[in-house]
Amino acid sequence: MDDEPIVRWYWIGDHLGYLGNLLADHAVIALLPVLIGLLLAVPLGLACARFPRLYQPLSAVFNIVYALPSLAVFVVLIPYTGLATQATVMIPLTFYALAVLLPTTVDGLHAVPDSVRQAATAMGYGPWHRLTTVELPAAVPYLIAGLRVAAVSSISLASVGALVGRGGLGYLFVDGFQRTFPTPIVAGIVLIAVLALAVDLLLVGARRLLAPWAVREKGAGS
Amino acid sequence: MNWLNWLSDFFSAPDHRSGPDSIVHRVSEHLLLSGEALLYAALLAVPLGLLIGYTGRGVTAVTALAGAARALPTLGLVTLAVLLAGVGDTAVLIPLVALAAPPLLVAAVEGVRGTDPDVRDAARGIGLTHPQVLWQVCLPSSAPTLLAGFRTATVQVIATATVAAYVGLGGLGRYVIDGLATRQYAVTVGGALLVVLLAVGAQLFFTLLARFALPPGVRAQRRAR
Amino acid sequence: MITFEGAGKRHPDGTIAVEGLDLEVPTGRITVLVGPSGCGKTTLLRMVNRMVEPTSGRVLLDGTDVAQLEPAKLRRGIGYVIQQAGLFPHRKVIDNIATVPYLLGWDRKEARARAAELLELVGLAPETAKRYPFQLSGGQQQRVGVARALAADPPVLLMDEPFSAVDPVVRAGLQEELLRLQSELHKTVLFVTHDIEEAVRLGDQVVVLREHGRIAQLADPHTLLTTPADDGVAAFLGRDRGLRGLGLRPASAVALRPVGDGLRYGGWELALDDAGRPIGWIDRTAVSAELHPAAGFRPETDTLRTALDAVVLSPAGVAVALDGDGRATGTASRDAILAALTPTGATAVGGIDANADESSDTNVGTGPDANAGAKADAKTTVSTRKALAADGTGEAGTTDRVGGPEGSDGGR
Repeated sequence: MDDEPIVRWYWIGDHLGYLGNLLADHAVIALLPVLIGLLLAVPLGLACARFPRLYQPLSAVFNIVYALPSLAVFVVLIPYTGLATQATVMIPLTFYALAVLLPTTVDGLHAVPDSVRQAATAMGYGPWHRLTTVELPAAVPYLIAGLRVAAVSSISLASVGALVGRGGLGYLFVDGFQRTFPTPIVAGIVLIAVLALAVDLLLVGARRLLAPWAVREKGAGS
Repeated sequence: MNWLNWLSDFFSAPDHRSGPDSIVHRVSEHLLLSGEALLYAALLAVPLGLLIGYTGRGVTAVTALAGAARALPTLGLVTLAVLLAGVGDTAVLIPLVALAAPPLLVAAVEGVRGTDPDVRDAARGIGLTHPQVLWQVCLPSSAPTLLAGFRTATVQVIATATVAAYVGLGGLGRYVIDGLATRQYAVTVGGALLVVLLAVGAQLFFTLLARFALPPGVRAQRRAR
Repeated sequence: MITFEGAGKRHPDGTIAVEGLDLEVPTGRITVLVGPSGCGKTTLLRMVNRMVEPTSGRVLLDGTDVAQLEPAKLRRGIGYVIQQAGLFPHRKVIDNIATVPYLLGWDRKEARARAAELLELVGLAPETAKRYPFQLSGGQQQRVGVARALAADPPVLLMDEPFSAVDPVVRAGLQEELLRLQSELHKTVLFVTHDIEEAVRLGDQVVVLREHGRIAQLADPHTLLTTPADDGVAAFLGRDRGLRGLGLRPASAVALRPVGDGLRYGGWELALDDAGRPIGWIDRTAVSAELHPAAGFRPETDTLRTALDAVVLSPAGVAVALDGDGRATGTASRDAILAALTPTGATAVGGIDANADESSDTNVGTGPDANAGAKADAKTTVSTRKALAADGTGEAGTTDRVGGPEGSDGGR
């Protein structure tokens, strides 16, 4: 190890295409679950906001889901979804994303001031109509904040999938470790961080675009 | 593929009953490693977080840093640390501390900042010094937030400590990794189940702690919010 | 017309919000429900658009029981303004205003055109349209709230403490604006407030409520202030209800001394700038030409209360009457204003002013011109007042009623 530098640049130069493929694979494995999580979290969140009694048990369940160690869940799923398949990694990641997004969705829907809710009712909105056209759009900043956490965590977690054979850039860690060759590990860490940063910036941009009215809130929050 | 058989195999195997690969030993290894990581993270993050939260300086930087830290893949950090520092507790502790510190830091900052400004003002007004305000006013009122931060950090560390086995260290990850390597699913699943139990146990422990161990005034305040 | 017929509300836990109220809210007028918190006024208001369902009795809207109408449909035909404007944070001002037209299925362009119209109507600049609610001040948000309530031109407007969350200066402006709008639109307004001052200022009729929605008194503001039904109502009205009553009476009743008749009152002289705007009172007995602020009022728009206030504030004991551009059109002495306070014979009382600074014994009836530039001192003022008491019916009043407006024309 003494003579091995942390990064051998030529290796990176030689493997650009390979790194690109891993990056793309990683992005799919990590982000598709977040997207699915979002598609599940919005209707579930709306239902929870409409029927508050639903939320208590659901939030308890997802609290526990979030506590499940990813590696353990991957392993438990292998007999059903197979070793080294995308599903093995993506199913748990979907649940993690949902566990983050459901509470933020519900919080966002609840964050609408009571006066706004009353004004909407007084203008003739029914409960569902109000939820979808007033409270949901007003919850967008919360949803995006939740998406940022979920996406970044998912990108980082997906690399653990390498231990069960499907982890995108995580494979570089296994590979580098087995060959005592730090360069791929460093490349993997950097690429994962870059991917996370890019997605995060994208979401910040999306917030500007979709919720320009919430600019001030952000300033106060940070 | 029978779960019950696997588990009974796993729990009844003589190696898992006593000796270095026994369940009790592995669990204690796991908890020790997690506890050590949490202790260092807490010593580092909590005082710093309290201070930052109290002065209000660098809050933005801390929030951004904590967000960025979330993007760091623990597996990558562990493997890199082992390659650079050799197999040992330190190599695994560094990534685990890096994992546990951000939520604790954010919790400490948010907890102090969440203190009712009027209460802080009143405390200053009746003659408490800054350290007294921080210690006697801000710390108790940030206890719920801090506890939530500890819960997140603990659960994450317990879950992630599994990865330590990959680079040759002990803990419950041993079962998972070894079982995978030798295609003994009974061992892998058994280990995984134990990690799940530990993590969920930690989650419950902190939830109950938040419900029953907090001073009644702080609890009421949280309910009101 | 909104009719409450024994309308009551009992909560499921048995507590009574409103015991059972009979009330008529006449079409095209402002009816104010006023009372301490917990008197059920908001509950009553919300019964009208079925945000609260009465547990006994009923509420009729133009003869139809609202319980028979579909809530959403009913509500789209009733404007509703609340304390925290309740604007949709994610919509621009223009789309906030157009909310109900959108709901009614109006064409988008048409709805926005209507919203732009209303924006102007409530006194907001056209560029406000593209802003988001968080970019507006509290007063502006409340104006948008009013515009939104008016967007679909509903005949009925429910207002629940709409101006309580803004500071007093802004509140006064909003109240004025509401009265101006009402004089154009003639909506049936049911207005809830805990502020008796606001109630008497805005209401055509005021309903003072006690707990459980019992009516303590129902009267027009003037009657309410002058003859409260009982001690409870009198206490609620406050100690200076007499003075406050002046806020209901127009300052135009004050007889003015035209500017042309001179600007000297005793030892004081009013200084005007080139445009005829007052710049201050000068103490003629003092060596320095120091200016003392000249308090004024606008006879066209202000009330007797403002006029009285101006007199109290003035070092010379004289209020300056101003036109819309802030130019002095005349002056009113303490006595002229006191004279206007006397409820009867306002016309006759006006005459006194002309003589305020002259020995009235000799000059009653000779008109203001005769007194132009005449010296006055405290003694003559006192004697004038005596004369007033003895003889409040001088023919001079007639001349002076004419003199006021003339004076203001001359000032222009």
